[in-house]
Amino acid sequence: MSYFRITLHRSAIGLPKRTRAVLAALGLHRRGKVVFHPVEAQFGGMIMKVKELVTVEEVDRPLTKRELQDSRRPEKGFWVETAARAGFKGEEEGEVRL
Amino acid sequence: MFGPFRITNSLSGGLLWKIPWRLSPTQKFRQRKRLRAVDQVIATVTNALAKKGETLKSLERWKSEMPTEAEMLPRDKYTMFDRKAKRYRKGIHKLPKWTRVSQRINPPGF
Repeated sequence: MSYFRITLHRSAIGLPKRTRAVLAALGLHRRGKVVFHPVEAQFGGMIMKVKELVTVEEVDRPLTKRELQDSRRPEKGFWVETAARAGFKGEEEGEVRL
Repeated sequence: MFGPFRITNSLSGGLLWKIPWRLSPTQKFRQRKRLRAVDQVIATVTNALAKKGETLKSLERWKSEMPTEAEMLPRDKYTMFDRKAKRYRKGIHKLPKWTRVSQRINPPGF
């Protein structure tokens, strides 16, 4: 069984009540909100009503709230892009200015 | 002529909004992007339902009536029909909420 992964991309401010009601029925209350619904005709029809506002993907299973949070979390720690010594190119020629 | 009290249209006449008559190249680029995004949603829903052997009336109607971004003429992407405008066309940015509504086709004969 596959699912629609629906993200609210555009806000519904100023759009008709019916459109906003469809978003509410899908569970999309703010921009960037992600919801999962099974691939069924009724959800397809709801997506069609708000197709200009959402981005849709087909996924195998819905992510839990925790998994969604983890997918957004940046990696822990840091990595060295350039070693400090390599950054001073003019060092050998004695051109280091302070 | 210069300075803070110079006479300009907006200072002497009050409210003056200047809406350009055509879209800028970046606005046109973003418009194409939005058209493609809607096409993408349509394609995803079509594929997902087709795997189950299902389809939707609204989906079929959209696909029969609406051209995709690639099929559209530039004229239809950036302008729309208006019965009051000169030569019956106006910029699509005059349409209220134009970035969030679909406006792709013309009335018959135009």
